[in-house]
Amino acid sequence: MSIVQITSLKKYFDSVRAVDGVDLAIDQGEFLVILGPSGCGKTTLMRMIAGLEKPTAGHIEIGGEDVTDLPPRKRGVSMVFQSYALYPHMNVFNNIAFPLRAQRRELKFDKRAIREKVENTARVLEIDSLLDRRPRQLSGGQRQRVAIARAMVTQPSVLLLDEPLSNLDAKLRANARDELKDFQRSSNITAVFVTHDQIEAMGLGDRIVVMSEGKIQQIGTPQSIYDDPANEFVATFLGSPSMNILSAKRFRFGFRPEHFLPKTLHDNPENSRIFHYYVKRVEYLGSDRLVYGYVQGHERELTLAKVPSNVRVSLDIEGDYEFAVHNRDIKYFDNISGQRIEQQSLAQAF
Amino acid sequence: MARLSYPLDNRRLVGIMFLTPALLYILLLVGFPFLLAIAFGFSDVTVGNTDLNFVGLRNYFAVWENDIFRQVFETTIRFTLVSQIFILIFANILAIIFTQDFTGKWFARFIFILPWATPVSLAMIGWLWMLDTKYSPIDYLLLQTGFLGPNGILSNSRNLFWLATPDLSQISVIFVQVWRMTPLATVILMAGLSSIPTDILDQAEVDGSRFMRTLLQIKLPLILPIMVIALLFSMITMFGDMTVVYVLTRGGPVDYTRVLGLYSFQVGIEGGNLAQGAAISLFAFPLLLAMAIFMLRTASRAEVQ
Ligand SMILES: Nc1ncnc2c1ncn2[C@@H]1O[C@H](COP(=O)(O)OP(=O)(O)O)[C@@H](O)[C@H]1O
Ligand SMILES: [Mg+2]
Repeated sequence: MSIVQITSLKKYFDSVRAVDGVDLAIDQGEFLVILGPSGCGKTTLMRMIAGLEKPTAGHIEIGGEDVTDLPPRKRGVSMVFQSYALYPHMNVFNNIAFPLRAQRRELKFDKRAIREKVENTARVLEIDSLLDRRPRQLSGGQRQRVAIARAMVTQPSVLLLDEPLSNLDAKLRANARDELKDFQRSSNITAVFVTHDQIEAMGLGDRIVVMSEGKIQQIGTPQSIYDDPANEFVATFLGSPSMNILSAKRFRFGFRPEHFLPKTLHDNPENSRIFHYYVKRVEYLGSDRLVYGYVQGHERELTLAKVPSNVRVSLDIEGDYEFAVHNRDIKYFDNISGQRIEQQSLAQAF
Repeated sequence: MARLSYPLDNRRLVGIMFLTPALLYILLLVGFPFLLAIAFGFSDVTVGNTDLNFVGLRNYFAVWENDIFRQVFETTIRFTLVSQIFILIFANILAIIFTQDFTGKWFARFIFILPWATPVSLAMIGWLWMLDTKYSPIDYLLLQTGFLGPNGILSNSRNLFWLATPDLSQISVIFVQVWRMTPLATVILMAGLSSIPTDILDQAEVDGSRFMRTLLQIKLPLILPIMVIALLFSMITMFGDMTVVYVLTRGGPVDYTRVLGLYSFQVGIEGGNLAQGAAISLFAFPLLLAMAIFMLRTASRAEVQ
């Protein structure tokens, strides 16, 4: 059952189409990740769900009710900002208690209930020893927990998180990611998580919404959008290093560097396409070798191969090799629209 | 290849160049008169005899023993404190209004800043007429609306004598000071309000906070340090000011509106006793200094991040 239903949602800032016709259904209890490059309209979309931004057109329903024209406080939504936006002059307790006090009348809480709720939420997020501290006395990771505690304390129907991990250093981030996921699972809250980081998106999302230029490019599980990209944008945006794209006469095709391997490593070369590959440079990345070179007939398009270090194939600079890609790993895209084309319809093209 | 070195590439030199005007201003127009006043305060200099003979604290004792001085000192403190309260209230209300979105905001801001942009003496001549004993337009309006004149609600007279009765003259002076200083405080508070990160205000909105709660629990506490600075500015300006009363009342009626700045001027320049005039004005210095230090420390302690 979907808790949030977004229909033809648009937001234009003068000539900038920040969000340009988004349709999206968010399921109860899921962890939905919105992934896209910086400036693609992720924050604007979140702000419209929260009620901070008035849509140019379209509708938003939350829990079956049309909330398009309702103020934030009537939506039962809470939000964690990229900056955490903790109230700097209040201690942690008062920060977490703030939404409870602000909505006291709607939620019918007395003082004791507020204290209990704050303490419970703080315990869950393991910040119960910090309740007397001011935000500036906290580490980045602790601030993030306080922000999440404050967002959770009212038991919102949807929790919106706008790049909440981007201010943490790399080590903390991986940790925080796991905790956030565990926390979401155990509390069974519906979470919408915005990020421009594909690794974060792949690791966290039950489903991922890939956005570009205000439009949804694809919605699907991490695996399905990685293995089965709907268009060239999604294909190249996900994966690191990104998918090789080569031009043919009437279409373009692509394959991922990890699927582009010396022919001798393929079990049945009959199901594969063979390429003559000229190696220009090899980078050793520990477990993998990253090979830069050119495929014969595509000398202007740099093509990468990611070859596991443990396979005993020597790859010399300026050498010519036979590489192959399994047919199922080659994706075809329309020359103009960039949309995926089914392999069968191109059978004759080869 | 040899590199040419330009004088403007030298950080120290450029730094000094940028600082020079401010330093000159402080040294010549603030520092020098200040030191001179201290020197005068410990001497027996008069307009007639400009020799500086050191007399220790004699001037200060003489001033302190003087009943008029004590009254003047008390009046100055009272005027300053009372007007600060109103300035703070009005400046906060106006700053909140002017940081909302409404049509004509730019024009309203412009009109409102005028009292502060007008030269004080010019503005005071305007008020002198507004508060005139006989021809005050305010009296005229009150007369037309039945508040004044025979059977008037406020008085049977045709005039209220804004600058001529003990109570009204003090109220008038405080009112004009509030009128004159509120814009500066407002501008400072507006800067404070618009420096609050929008994320914080958006967060408050998502948290369900309405206008009054956001104002009282988020905005005002966050601009508290800036409020202290605004208060300090207007307090110090007002404490040393003499122009307003010099033009409006000359300290009268009797001594009711005589303030420190004016009294010092009257004793030192008009009365010719430079030494005592300097001593009078210097009485304010330790008080203001202590106040400034206290307020700046409060501000920096309340400062967030
Ligand atoms: N308040 C605004 N006024 C004008 N343009 C805006 C505003 N907010 C966002 N934009 C523009 O809308 C686009 C999408 O912005 P945003 O939603 O913040 O992207 P993202 O969060 O994906 O980086 C950007 O081009 C941005 O410049
Ligand atoms: Mg953003």
